[in-house]
Amino acid sequence: MAKFVSIGERLSATAPSVNKAFMERDPEPILKRAGDQLKAGAVYLDVNIGPAENDGEDLMKWCVKLLQENFDNVPLALDTANKKAIEAGISVYNRSKGKPIVNSANASDRIENIDLAAANDAIVIALCQAEGICSDNDERMMHCQNMLERGMGLGMDPSDLWFDPLFLVVKGQQDKQMEILEAIKMFSDMGLNSTGGLSNNSNGMPKHIRPIMDSALVAMCMMQGLTSAIVNPNDTRLMETIKSCDVFKGNTLYADSYLEL
Amino acid sequence: MPFNQKPQKFNAKINTVKIGTGDKAIEIGGESSFPFYSFDAPVPVTQKVGIEITDGGLEAMPECIRAYYDGASSMGDIARKAASFEGVDFLALLLDGGDPNGANKSTEELIAIVKEVAEAVDLPLVVEGCKNVEKDAELLPKVAEALQGRNVLVMSEKEENYKAIGAAAGLAYDQIVGAESAVDINLAKQLNVITTQLGVNGAKVVMNVGTAAVGYGYEYVVSTMDRIKGAALGQNDNMLQMPIITPVASETWGVKEASASEADMPEWGPVEERGIDMEVSTAAADLAAGSDAVILRHPKSVETISRLIQALA
Repeated sequence: MAKFVSIGERLSATAPSVNKAFMERDPEPILKRAGDQLKAGAVYLDVNIGPAENDGEDLMKWCVKLLQENFDNVPLALDTANKKAIEAGISVYNRSKGKPIVNSANASDRIENIDLAAANDAIVIALCQAEGICSDNDERMMHCQNMLERGMGLGMDPSDLWFDPLFLVVKGQQDKQMEILEAIKMFSDMGLNSTGGLSNNSNGMPKHIRPIMDSALVAMCMMQGLTSAIVNPNDTRLMETIKSCDVFKGNTLYADSYLEL
Repeated sequence: MPFNQKPQKFNAKINTVKIGTGDKAIEIGGESSFPFYSFDAPVPVTQKVGIEITDGGLEAMPECIRAYYDGASSMGDIARKAASFEGVDFLALLLDGGDPNGANKSTEELIAIVKEVAEAVDLPLVVEGCKNVEKDAELLPKVAEALQGRNVLVMSEKEENYKAIGAAAGLAYDQIVGAESAVDINLAKQLNVITTQLGVNGAKVVMNVGTAAVGYGYEYVVSTMDRIKGAALGQNDNMLQMPIITPVASETWGVKEASASEADMPEWGPVEERGIDMEVSTAAADLAAGSDAVILRHPKSVETISRLIQALA
């Protein structure tokens, strides 16, 4: 089995300092955040430029070049609602360290992002959701099947669709948590890859609680077969948990210094 | 139904490590497939065979090997003779006389032998310590210093003395570091981690993950090597992508099958044949399990294993 793929979430326009750096094309804060995440063990970096309706194409190109030139062609997840910006990012993307990830498609208005990924030999995060939150796993798996068939129909390898069950916040949707874990098991039983914004579970909780909840959930998810997650790699407890679970799953060979690798 | 060959492809490979200098220099490692699986991926370099002599010279050799060194008197003579046998890719000098619980030769005395041997041959050199961790921590840095510029493999650092040996061989004198663990896959990886954390270039490390003579708990050797290659290639674990060298002779020539005289064991047949058989069977099994180089003593074993490698290449 391959090692768990941590996608660093900290380059996001939702963070005011990052958004400012995006707008001003100021490399310093972006490189700092990227470097911190990679040092902490992130495999991919998510580049969330927001809706980016005006200059999305230019901004995404700038980000891709900046990050790949400074960090040995680090693989990236291109995260925006602006399709043209994703295409522009891919046009300058170096895939020597991994295919680009299109973040993301869903089963309704964003389903064409699967076509975009297929046309560009990219990975796509396929969010198993159409309108509103799925009422049950029958619905989740229906979306999963539809998106899988669409991708395969366009010649994609099934392993390039990473299915996202949509992690839900515990404060408000505690009763849905086991359902999500079961969905991950279903993806895994079908041999599919999976990912998602795992830290959404702990939204609204006190700061010191979040790493604990996130770590517990990632361990349960990995047991169910989750192959990746979009996380904060600078959460030490979380990364230690992921590395430890990789050992238990046989994804990496144990050595006393495994946490330093 | 027609047979459709599906090659097992890995997006990873074992490091290629060069030992020695000039025309006679060798490379070990470089493979991106399991041992001898040349049908899965091209194998850039074949496994290499070394011949081992010890600081004990002729006296320390079993009678059947001594016969091949007829006429040699000095360590230089012995080294030249060893280098001349068919199939020899490199020369290994074992300094087991340094063991404080044995002959306890001084570091100076041993370094003089190291220099004499190095001057006698231009083959790539592997120098092995005496296995006593304190003595090796003193001896092997001196070896690394004395042979500066020859790009030799210094064997071996262990968990107990990796700082002294790894820093001297890998950093100060730019030699190749042998990292030794005893059939313990987790320790094999850990030693590579801490060695590279010292600052040693991982591409200049070769592992000795341990061996046993066949029949002596050998299954653990196979599973260890097999799992190391599996993780190195299948999981692209760069802390296990160092090539493996296996000193076979020091294990096999001590067991009773190789040493009991024909007078004591008439039903076992001639002692020389048994010694070669033990050495050849162990070396062949080590190569099939993942060793990139083996160290042998009997010239006949060296020739046999070298031909096996050529035939399967």
